[in-house]
Amino acid sequence: MEKILRQEKLREWVDTLDDCEVHAPAFADSVWNYAKVEAGTDIDLSHTNTIGSVKSFVFPQREVFFRFEKKDGVPLLTSTLPDPIPTVVFGVRPCDGRGMPRNDTVFNKEFEDPYYWARRDKLTLIGLACNQPHSPNCFCQSVGGSPHSEEGLDILMTDLGDSFHVKGITAKGVEIMERGRDAFDAVSDSDQAEIEKIHKRSRSYPQRPLGDLDAIPEALRENFDSPLWADMAQHCIGCGICTFLCPTCHCFDINDEVISPTTGEGERVRTWDNCQFPDFTMHTSGHNPRGDLGSRLRQRVNHKFLYFVENHNTQQCTGCGRCITECPVGIDIVAVLERVGQS
Amino acid sequence: MTDNIYLPKIGRIVGIDEETQGARAIKTFKVEFPNSDGFEHNCGQCAMLSMFGKGESMISIASSPLVKEYKQFSIMKMGRVTSAFHAAGIGDFIGIRGPYGNQFPLDDWKGRDLVFIGGGVGLAPIWPVIQTAVARREDFGKITVFYGARTSSDIMYEADFEKLKASVEVQLSVDAPEEGWPGYTGFVPANLMDKAPTSDNAIAITCGPPIMIKFVIQNLQALGFADEQIYTTIENKMKCGIGKCGRCNVGKDYVCVKGPVYSWAELKSLPQEY
Amino acid sequence: MVNVEEIRDYAAGLLERGEVKSVLGFRRGSASAFAEPCTLTEADDAASLVWDPTCLNNLTLYLVKDRKQQAAAKTPDNRPVGIVAKGCDSRAVGVLLQENYFKREDVVVIGVSCEDTGVVDPKKLSDKLKGRTASRVAFDDAGGFVVSIHGSESETVIPAHEILADRCLECRAAAPALNNVVFGNTVEARDFNEPFHAAKEAERISEDERWATWEHHFDRCLRCFACRAVCPMCYCPECVVDSTTFVVTLGTSAEEKANRIRWCERSANTSESAVYHLTRAIHLAGRCIDCGECERVCPVNIPLRLLNTKLEKEAFEMFEYQAGHDIEQASLLSSFRDEDPNSFIR
Repeated sequence: MEKILRQEKLREWVDTLDDCEVHAPAFADSVWNYAKVEAGTDIDLSHTNTIGSVKSFVFPQREVFFRFEKKDGVPLLTSTLPDPIPTVVFGVRPCDGRGMPRNDTVFNKEFEDPYYWARRDKLTLIGLACNQPHSPNCFCQSVGGSPHSEEGLDILMTDLGDSFHVKGITAKGVEIMERGRDAFDAVSDSDQAEIEKIHKRSRSYPQRPLGDLDAIPEALRENFDSPLWADMAQHCIGCGICTFLCPTCHCFDINDEVISPTTGEGERVRTWDNCQFPDFTMHTSGHNPRGDLGSRLRQRVNHKFLYFVENHNTQQCTGCGRCITECPVGIDIVAVLERVGQS
Repeated sequence: MTDNIYLPKIGRIVGIDEETQGARAIKTFKVEFPNSDGFEHNCGQCAMLSMFGKGESMISIASSPLVKEYKQFSIMKMGRVTSAFHAAGIGDFIGIRGPYGNQFPLDDWKGRDLVFIGGGVGLAPIWPVIQTAVARREDFGKITVFYGARTSSDIMYEADFEKLKASVEVQLSVDAPEEGWPGYTGFVPANLMDKAPTSDNAIAITCGPPIMIKFVIQNLQALGFADEQIYTTIENKMKCGIGKCGRCNVGKDYVCVKGPVYSWAELKSLPQEY
Repeated sequence: MVNVEEIRDYAAGLLERGEVKSVLGFRRGSASAFAEPCTLTEADDAASLVWDPTCLNNLTLYLVKDRKQQAAAKTPDNRPVGIVAKGCDSRAVGVLLQENYFKREDVVVIGVSCEDTGVVDPKKLSDKLKGRTASRVAFDDAGGFVVSIHGSESETVIPAHEILADRCLECRAAAPALNNVVFGNTVEARDFNEPFHAAKEAERISEDERWATWEHHFDRCLRCFACRAVCPMCYCPECVVDSTTFVVTLGTSAEEKANRIRWCERSANTSESAVYHLTRAIHLAGRCIDCGECERVCPVNIPLRLLNTKLEKEAFEMFEYQAGHDIEQASLLSSFRDEDPNSFIR
């Protein structure tokens, strides 16, 4: 289903979603991030990209798995599976959208993750095409995506100036569009031409290049033992910025948090974790298979451009550029791949 | 609605055997499922055992799949969760998630000789294979078990070894000279070379400290074993056990799913990051 | 004006003569307009050194990392290391010397004066450019910045005080007093804000409002630990507040690992994040030299330096103490004077 939505009617459409939790980008504390939209307020879609990716909606920083306590001496576990009200997110960039099917694969294969899916099934993603790159570090096209890619999104909106083109991609998306049907107009031929023109122009902006994607896995394999990795990683400070902001990074930790030491009551909690933290792979014995910076940088790059490709035939990177822009010391995954490719 | 894979079943400790003492003490636990919701498993698989309030630890299931009444785990005291196990008593409750991981392809080895080489607590992951092979004795050729520990008081499953001698060749060793020790004195890989089992139609299954595995594999190769004839089970830090948290990721594999059992032919092609 | 050629020559000379094993400096990066850290080991590489308003990093962090590496190495290389240091960076070196982390002769401080300007705040710059991105930022000769815009030929000149980092606006000593050499002129009176300006402003609002503000910030914290990772003074191998690096050797007993207290859970909820940040701030009291890196690296823009400068303000007002200014002086929390305030003694 494709429609036109005049800018001033956006609020009308959003207002029909009153039984959903609506989120949209908001600029606060000098940064764009998703925020809950209060009923009766406007949505701002003038953002570049949000600092946090849309993965937080299905894979939150903190997820309680279950509560544990003792009842007559026997452990009693109470599962805390989320039961969210339907959630609609506006303004999702196509790079973040593309990350979602990759996350779906991870949280589905071999074992289905009920916490992820409880949220995923209730989530509708409304994308906003990028009419121009929002950062010099964008490289969505270099990894097989595009500024108006529909992959992973339920709806894709394109800003036409005084109106939006709104395209329903999935059944979920069409259903959300149906709610606002009174706010929409039909797509005229000139609208169609404008959309095509905007999309075509959006693809013409230069992006950080990656060259032949298919050649990257072999280059990474060949350079596994290269001293390049130690050199490229030497200034890494071992924080979690690249992984936490990444739309497809999914490593996590599971810990028991005791609420009352006397009753033994507590919660088993999942939190984000990060292969760049120094003791991520450390065994209890003290043996650490990836104890140096070079091997940890290599792990991240290999996971995204080699191992995921070997397992799922696609890169685990959607070219959003956040890791490059936000790295405190300028470690740049595109530059890393370039160097590996050249050696 | 599928089972919640993160929600453990409840287990009750019904037996505790002190295998070794000292700084790296080992205890063997027999665990029952009081709610009759136990699961079947295959040789080589592991389970995530919980001490609620402390955390979880991935431990090999050391009992044979043919044993239905309980599951056996041999746990070395290493850190927070394992210390809680060592402080536990009979009747205490734990959590169990599983079975996880792949299995030793025992059925593929019918008619072949089996050479087991274990060291220290590394005997536990291969113990179910030994027990199952012995229970199906006529399916296999010659079975030899090499096992070594630092001292004779560190030898695990002592009583069971006595029973084993009836149907398999047992070659025990201790690392350092000990008064009254009748068996081999020296490291396990050396004992292996000393007894030099034939590689003809044989499969070698080994587990132990990483350094032992390294030399055992070298010696097996020197004895003529092909990489496809050598099997081991590896260890990695694990948290979820289901291939999602990333901790045990080695190359394209999540060891908790694609492993922990590997032939050397498969393992040598993975990055040696374990 | 600082002549970057002089910095390059000096660094090259140190390396050629073997007086240092490496020089920590700044070079152009590919990720953004901002300079990135580099570690030079060959004299020829000194040509890549740059000096401009994007040289934000406090390279003292890498002195600490090097020390740790050598301490763990089988054959340590403990030759001196050269470091390009701004005023604040040199005070970080000063604090480490006060704390005996290394000796004075272990470091060659290649000082650079910020003169009457300083470094750019990336957030202020991006706000100023309203969505466009800078490709280059340079000093102009008049205390301002020349900003080239990415994707266009145009340049714009922005007066320094509009996009200078907050810490530069309050800086009490913009030239490194601790140095082996210093490039650029020391400018005594800089016409910006008074010291501790930001902390004083923040104190104006009521306690309840202050707590509500900070609750909001702690709630947003991702617990990426970039603030801790980038701070040279957070050098504890095992941080009391969290085990992302837990010192374990083959000799660490099971009891030690089992009994290790979790002061703060991994959970990124308000209470745990508050414990993390407040504990870290207190552990930096009297040690923070306001390089501002913690705040700069925070991906969600938590105004972290407010926590630290508030405590440094206390240290200054109560004890006339300034971290890293006098390497002969004992560190604040390891000494006392008879005239120290003792109103708490009843």
